[in-house]
Amino acid sequence: MIEVKHLVKTFKSGDTNVDATNNISFKVPDGQFASIIGRSGSGKSTLLSLLGALDKPTSGSIVIGGQDLTKLSDHELITYRCKAIGFVFQGYNLVPNLTALENVMLPMEFAKVSRAERKTRASELLEQVGLKDDKQLRKPGRLSGGEQQRVAIARALANKPKLILADEPTGNLDSATGKMIFDLLHKLSRSENTTIIVVTHDLAIAGKTDATFKLDDGKLVSK
Amino acid sequence: MNVFTRGIRNAFRNGIRTLSIVAILGLSIGLSLTMLVANKAVGNKIATVKSSIGNTISIAPAGVQGFEGGGNPLTQASVDTLKSLAHVSSISESINDRLTSSGDSSNTNLVSSIDAGSLGQRFGREGGFGGGFGGGASGSTAGQAQTFTIPVTATGVSDTSQYAGSAVKLTSGSQIDGTADKPVALIGKDLATKNNLTVGSTFTAYGSAITVSGIFDTGTSFSNNAVIFSLPTLQRLSSQVGDITSATATVDSISNMDSVTAAVKSKLGSTADVTSSKDQAANAIAPLDSVKTISVFSLVGAVVAGAVIILLTMVMVVRERKREIGVTKAIGGSNLSIISQFMVEALTLTILGAVVGLVIGVIGGQPVTKLLVSNSTTSATTTATPGQRGSFGGGSGFGGGQSTGGGGITRRGGFGGALGRNSAVKGISNIKTQVGPGILLDGFGAAIFIALVGSALAAGMIAKVRPSEVMRAE
Ligand SMILES: Nc1ncnc2c1ncn2[C@@H]1O[C@H](COP(=O)(O)OP(=O)(O)OP(=O)(O)O)[C@@H](O)[C@H]1O
Ligand SMILES: [Mg+2]
Repeated sequence: MIEVKHLVKTFKSGDTNVDATNNISFKVPDGQFASIIGRSGSGKSTLLSLLGALDKPTSGSIVIGGQDLTKLSDHELITYRCKAIGFVFQGYNLVPNLTALENVMLPMEFAKVSRAERKTRASELLEQVGLKDDKQLRKPGRLSGGEQQRVAIARALANKPKLILADEPTGNLDSATGKMIFDLLHKLSRSENTTIIVVTHDLAIAGKTDATFKLDDGKLVSK
Repeated sequence: MNVFTRGIRNAFRNGIRTLSIVAILGLSIGLSLTMLVANKAVGNKIATVKSSIGNTISIAPAGVQGFEGGGNPLTQASVDTLKSLAHVSSISESINDRLTSSGDSSNTNLVSSIDAGSLGQRFGREGGFGGGFGGGASGSTAGQAQTFTIPVTATGVSDTSQYAGSAVKLTSGSQIDGTADKPVALIGKDLATKNNLTVGSTFTAYGSAITVSGIFDTGTSFSNNAVIFSLPTLQRLSSQVGDITSATATVDSISNMDSVTAAVKSKLGSTADVTSSKDQAANAIAPLDSVKTISVFSLVGAVVAGAVIILLTMVMVVRERKREIGVTKAIGGSNLSIISQFMVEALTLTILGAVVGLVIGVIGGQPVTKLLVSNSTTSATTTATPGQRGSFGGGSGFGGGQSTGGGGITRRGGFGGALGRNSAVKGISNIKTQVGPGILLDGFGAAIFIALVGSALAAGMIAKVRPSEVMRAE
């Protein structure tokens, strides 16, 4: 269960303060596939980075699996990001100098998984997302956008996280490929009982999720 | 894959950049090592010169150096008073004269082992020797070049184990007692060969028969053309009883050199030139010290330059990979592991640079040291050519137009002093550089230092990268 209460994130830009998230509260049960929609600049990415412990809220609390993120130390936050969260970004954000396989192995290295286990699991995950053989050994520059996003999904799943956060994962892909990626995420959340929160502009996609939260100017306007 | 392999691999991410950075770093590390090599070589040389500083004070009649200058000899009586000075452990005294087998002043049957050669002939012509003789003999020969023969040096020393600033090595025969007046002498190797003399043979000097007690070798043909008598023997034979042309005081410890030098000066006053071996060494070391200083500055400069190069490179690399750093943090990488990875990258670059630099240092060390040293010591060194030492007959030279006329003993002596000085300074520019495992370690030490300093700023920047940056569009 993810429980967000009175979440406020204020950015200072010059003299003015921008409330990127303004007193947001919601709950997402375990294993649910939820989506966040809203106009550009409404605070979707900000909310996601708070949920993923990439940033600290100005006020409010985020309780995931009974643990309050706002009470964790910096060191605990690193461990939390490493083991409890999987990220998928719009721009894939793979490490360009590493092969697909090595990209998927990286979070496991941070989680101190043994080398042999890293390799087998990374290879299995890549096969699950549809990347086989020599493609696993290619660097991101030699993979298509859709393939790179598959690698990113495999990487997000590497440490068997409880929560996957995806920020417009299909934003850079054509609609057919986007649908495939989305179906992949959907399938995985079912099979591994992983909670997924995805930010999207695509209302058709949002319509297929278990719950949709709409943001407007930092406020939650509908659930 | 781990922090190490990633760091090493990242160092080669951009081939052209890696190549240029390694080349520039190689130059700067190479320069550092070259300077280190020079610094060590010069440092060793200074230590050698310092350790070879004799604890001796040379005393010569005022105004005399070699066979040049003028003045009056010192009296043995005045030099003997120095024996009572505190911290003087011994005094060795000497008297000089020349033996010649040609011309009116012939006083021996010994033939010089040194050919006058063109140098000697020129010194002879220019000096008073040829001119004075020619003028004195007859009007018709005046101004005509006369064959000039190098005289044989005769030295009477109270300590016969030392001659011309170095130990007397006997190749055969036995030593003589420097304080006893006996018709015996030690003769130089070359002189013995030239005159077919062996131990036990006799030769004539000043009308007396002298027995060869031993034959010595000093290693230079000038000194090997000499005869060593005991001090009283030569004083008597050459009619210089009671005179001293040079003396050397040995001081009990280096630390007393200054005080004893001052005491000797005040005792002998203006009649003597007093030079301590410490002053000579200090003069010899001065240019080396400046080379050492230059090398230290260049060394520091080159290391700093290397650190700045790697610093700027790493700052550039971190800025370029800001997003990658953010992603790595977002997927669970700690600051420590990311910073370590960048340090490995910096280290890889500098170690490659160090390898290039080592090659430059090994190749450049010796010539650069030579260049530095020779540029700053040319004024302080002299090169000895056999037969030329001691400015024989040069300029106002031997005889000076009046010496054979009996104007007193104007210019005998100063020999020991002049030669002693020479040997203290000689070989200063003959410096050996060494590239041993120490330099290797220093090189890699410098590389690691450069890498650590150079990546410190990058580490600070890495720590500041916020993982939420990755949420921003590219
Ligand atoms: N680091 C920051 N500093 C200052 N202002 C920020 C920062 N990050 C976000 N903001 C502001 O917070 C607001 C919300 O931004 P956010 O990126 O969350 O929007 P978004 O809903 O993800 O938009 P988009 O759909 O365009 O990605 C915006 O007004 C943005 O300018
Ligand atoms: Mg966004």
